[in-house]
Amino acid sequence: MAVLNQKKTKANSAIPTSSMADIAFLLLIFFLVTTTFPKDKGLAVVLPEQGEEVAVSQRNILHIIVRVDGIVDLRRGESTSVQQMRPDDIESVWRQEVTANPNLIAAVKTHPDAPHRYMIDVLDALQLAGAERISLQILEEF
Amino acid sequence: MAIKGGGFDRKSKAASNIPDSSLADIAFLLLIFFMVTTVFKMGKDRPIEWAQASATEKIDEKIKNILNIWVERDGSVWVNDRNIPLEEVSDIVRPLYAASQRHLVISVRADRDTPYSYIDSVQKELVAAGVVRVVFATMLERQMRGIRR
Repeated sequence: MAVLNQKKTKANSAIPTSSMADIAFLLLIFFLVTTTFPKDKGLAVVLPEQGEEVAVSQRNILHIIVRVDGIVDLRRGESTSVQQMRPDDIESVWRQEVTANPNLIAAVKTHPDAPHRYMIDVLDALQLAGAERISLQILEEF
Repeated sequence: MAIKGGGFDRKSKAASNIPDSSLADIAFLLLIFFMVTTVFKMGKDRPIEWAQASATEKIDEKIKNILNIWVERDGSVWVNDRNIPLEEVSDIVRPLYAASQRHLVISVRADRDTPYSYIDSVQKELVAAGVVRVVFATMLERQMRGIRR
């Protein structure tokens, strides 16, 4: 028997694949643990660009004044009569007002000491009512 | 000779063991899914109480184009784990906004009890920085309308 072709080394020439699944699972668990799915949610608003101030006729403004205690004073453009309500009621009021005047702008004026969540409540009601023209301001005279 | 199995011989020839040859394939599929969807967190969250709103919607922008501005109850402002004086917010935001080709969305994450004057100041800083798209971060408020009204 010829010994010419006999292998001398007995080392296995194949790459070991038995641990491949282990490596895959290791990486899998690593990425499972480090994954954070985006949870960025909120109420989107568009801020005016600098110097982009337009004069709006008082007729088209609905003043929504957010007081410190979260109660909302509603004043229609030119009139001086003030209507008090809860933030939740703004949704239905806005729907009524905007059908009467499609050019209406909501001017939300918040008292400087009022908690953020009251402004959010009003913004929420306006967005639920589908309002798009919203101006967020700080209440200056009170 | 006793009948094996009490006479109940296995009739079906279907394999009774779970096939595990595709296990590694499933593992790799999941692995690649999580590799692709993984986004490492940019900054730590500040401890705030979220405001709630039922019109809450997802921000339609890539995560890398969202900048979080945290406003705490005492009016301190945090951006990317750093406490920043209110007046410097526009200086911080302006270069980031330019770098994002004006795609940057600012997520204002304010505590529900933050006085509005601080929010207004942040807003004015953002206007000064030329930012247009702002989101007031809120939690979704689930409400049962029929009962509440």
